[in-house]
Amino acid sequence: MNATFATLLAAVASAAVTVAAEAAPQPSPSSQGSAIVVQDQASLRAAPRDGAQQQASLWQGEVLEVRGERLDYLQVWDHKRERGGFIRASDVRRVALTEAEGPALLAVMRFVQDTPGAEALGIGLTAAYLQAAPAKALAGVEGAQAFDTLGTFADRLARRASVAVPGKASGATLSAHLDVANGYGVRFATYEVEGRMQVCYEGEAFRRLLAMPVADAEQRARAALALTRPECINPDLPAHERAKLTTWQAEVLERVDVASLPSYLRNRVQMRRASVWGAAAFQQARKNAADPAVAAAAARALTELSGVSKADLPDEDQSAYNDAAMRVSAVRWALVPAAVPAAAPVATAAGARPTLLTVPGAPGETCVLLVDAQHSAKAPLLRRCTYGVVWIASASTNREGTAVALAVQPMEGWRELWVLRKTEGGWLADVLPPAATTPETGVAEWAGWVPGGQQMLVAREARGQGRYRKSFEVVRLDGLTTERVTGDVSALPLFQRWQDPAWKRQTLSLR
Amino acid sequence: MKATWNRIVQTLKGRRSTPLSEAGTEPVLDAESQSPLAADVRGADAPRLNWAYLLPTARTLRWLAAGAVVTAAGLMVYRNPPVQHLAQGDLGVRLNQFTGAVSLWRDGSVWVVPGLHTVRVFSLRDQSYRPEAMRQATGSAPLQSVEGLSLGLDLSVRYALDPNSPAVKAGNLPDNVGADIVEPAVQGLVYKVFARYTVREIFSSKRAEISQIIETELRARLAADGVTLRSLQIGKVDLPAEYRRGMDSLLAEELASEKMRYTLELKDKRVRETELDANADKVRREVAAEAAAREQVIAAKAQEEAMKHVLPFKQRQIEQRQLEAEAERVARVKAAEGSAQARRIEANGEADARQKLAEAEAYRMDRVGKVNAEQMAREGALVTKHPLLIQKTLADKLSDKIQVIIAPPPTNGDFIGAALLGGHRNAQAGAAQAAAVAEDATTTQAVEQ
Repeated sequence: MNATFATLLAAVASAAVTVAAEAAPQPSPSSQGSAIVVQDQASLRAAPRDGAQQQASLWQGEVLEVRGERLDYLQVWDHKRERGGFIRASDVRRVALTEAEGPALLAVMRFVQDTPGAEALGIGLTAAYLQAAPAKALAGVEGAQAFDTLGTFADRLARRASVAVPGKASGATLSAHLDVANGYGVRFATYEVEGRMQVCYEGEAFRRLLAMPVADAEQRARAALALTRPECINPDLPAHERAKLTTWQAEVLERVDVASLPSYLRNRVQMRRASVWGAAAFQQARKNAADPAVAAAAARALTELSGVSKADLPDEDQSAYNDAAMRVSAVRWALVPAAVPAAAPVATAAGARPTLLTVPGAPGETCVLLVDAQHSAKAPLLRRCTYGVVWIASASTNREGTAVALAVQPMEGWRELWVLRKTEGGWLADVLPPAATTPETGVAEWAGWVPGGQQMLVAREARGQGRYRKSFEVVRLDGLTTERVTGDVSALPLFQRWQDPAWKRQTLSLR
Repeated sequence: MKATWNRIVQTLKGRRSTPLSEAGTEPVLDAESQSPLAADVRGADAPRLNWAYLLPTARTLRWLAAGAVVTAAGLMVYRNPPVQHLAQGDLGVRLNQFTGAVSLWRDGSVWVVPGLHTVRVFSLRDQSYRPEAMRQATGSAPLQSVEGLSLGLDLSVRYALDPNSPAVKAGNLPDNVGADIVEPAVQGLVYKVFARYTVREIFSSKRAEISQIIETELRARLAADGVTLRSLQIGKVDLPAEYRRGMDSLLAEELASEKMRYTLELKDKRVRETELDANADKVRREVAAEAAAREQVIAAKAQEEAMKHVLPFKQRQIEQRQLEAEAERVARVKAAEGSAQARRIEANGEADARQKLAEAEAYRMDRVGKVNAEQMAREGALVTKHPLLIQKTLADKLSDKIQVIIAPPPTNGDFIGAALLGGHRNAQAGAAQAAAVAEDATTTQAVEQ
């Protein structure tokens, strides 16, 4: 009985000691500070020993609350996983999040800024800096730099995640890094583009940066380029939303002062501007092709593209340059005013040479009428309607009067060539697309007529399914089959001989 | 008159200088023509003044009397002119005393012959009448309501004479139109009308009606007397103090009630406005959504069109690839067939060649065999004939290969090669052996050298 009582007393005493130990005042979190994990797959262990059980695997950039030190281990609490443990001190960087530590964090941030693969760590460090730095510093140059860095990290991480990297390990790392970034409030949008996932940074840091008056030109350029990335436009965006987005993108790009930028960065901004203004011109032309705003937007696009210095174009920007050129080329006929009234007397003088007229069809539809001296608009030679934009100024009739070429743009950055030709059974309309691929970006241009009325010259340039192709072709009018094709105009004597001077003067395919 | 005066002056002048000429019509000219002479005369006569000249003559007195009469008449006319001036806005009513005819005169002057005409002037301008006695409830002549309560009224009547009315034309107007026509008419009407209404009605609800009644009746009454009522304004109603207090609170409540009604109406209208706004917004959004949807449909149709234009080329490309693949397949089959045929031909050729070669070999072997057999027969015969030829041949064949032959020594002390040669030919063999050893020794020497 006495023994039982003694045991019970001992148990009660032990419990009291335990409770007292737990109730003992813990060191306050602020005194111990926080720690940012600097290595991937750092182990959070149950005890300060290498052999102890692993609680969790931590990734770079994650923040932990430090609650104590044991040997060369830190006792930490992971608020995200709601789990405590020990982590090796060399796997983390301790931060006190005080104002005095701001410059040091900024220095580390700058160091990590250009390190590939350290985006999550960079985001963690930037977040720590944003918390440590005073409001005055954040409104100044350092703040602009911090937002620029944060945006750069997030954008690079998104691009890294978008590029398909084989291997399970890299996929897991990317997912973990994205998760860490999400934990800091950095948001990403995901779109499905051509059967793969495109991850895009939502861009809040860049927006803040653009609103800061202290941001310098390079930072603004980087921010504007990241915010107007063409691959990050939601492919399912409705047309009117897309038009609004284009307007916004144009405004964002206008905030960049290109005069003080390095040449390669200036080129990038100007190429992006050319693309955006080209898209804006098309979107306005869909509402009213005769609107002066269309010509203004197209002129702006052409000006920006012609401002690109080809000598300062790195290889990685070559594809962007080609894309911008194609987009501007698609709307270049907006710069030429439609000369239908002026062409009428010429047509009369020339006799039976056919001319083109456009009349509105169903809502959103434009009908092209082929008329001549004998056939008025009421009984045209040919009537064909389209939901695309008809660039009537591009109409060109061959010397024999048996074929008419016309540029029609059904989509943004995709311009087709319509060939109306005379056959024994009447006039027929054939359409030559820029490429036989899914329509993305491309231009098919009439480049001249080969005398004889059987062939024509066509310049085609397109990017589809990841491939870019530019060709100069001799096309047979009957069936629009390519007879000869070359990538270089000088290699095709027929092309060189019969190419149209006006086309050669205005085209962007000979850039 | 002026002429008369001139005449008097001239007369006086003539008296002082020279006697007036007889021609009374020419005195001025004469006086002027004679004035230098008169001056000379005055200059000469100045020192000697004749005071007799200062006394009036009878003629002068006559003239003076006539002048005085004329002056008095003129003064009388001046003081009582036979013309009366009428200012703008005045109406003159002239009565002929003898005939009793009345004529009206407006702005300007009117002849008034004293004793013949009398003129009364009335103003045609607007005049107003504000009865002071009825202004205060505690005044000398307050109004009485139907309840018998006294109340004051700030009444203002504006009126004017009507020059076209028969009363005016007939000249029957009293001298003071305001006091004799307007005041009695107003008072006779106002007291009667107000006595028909309660104070409350007078104060608030029936005020306009009362005003209307008074105005209508007063207009008719005054019109009969040649007065036009321009306007009638009922201003402040002065109530008895106690009644006023109760009335105010009642009115305040009524006003509050009225206000509440308007507030409710306003709220109701606001609700309707919100509803209409919401409806308008709904319609606008619907229209915008419809437009956006249509725009999207158009864009999709354009995309579909572009795809449709690409498809034939893609189809053609696929067909071309198929044709190319087919052509390649056919070419490969043909090539394989050719290759197989060539191989077959090659194999046939090879087989034929091999057969021919085999046949040739068989023939050769046959021939060689035959030749060998014959040779062997001949050699057999030769060996049979000369048995030692074998040893010789052996020795010949071994001579250039074998330098030393180690053979067991014969047991019988014979030639060491006897075992090779056979025992029964030891004698011939011993000689042959000796020859072979000798030859070997020679060869050894040659090699050593």
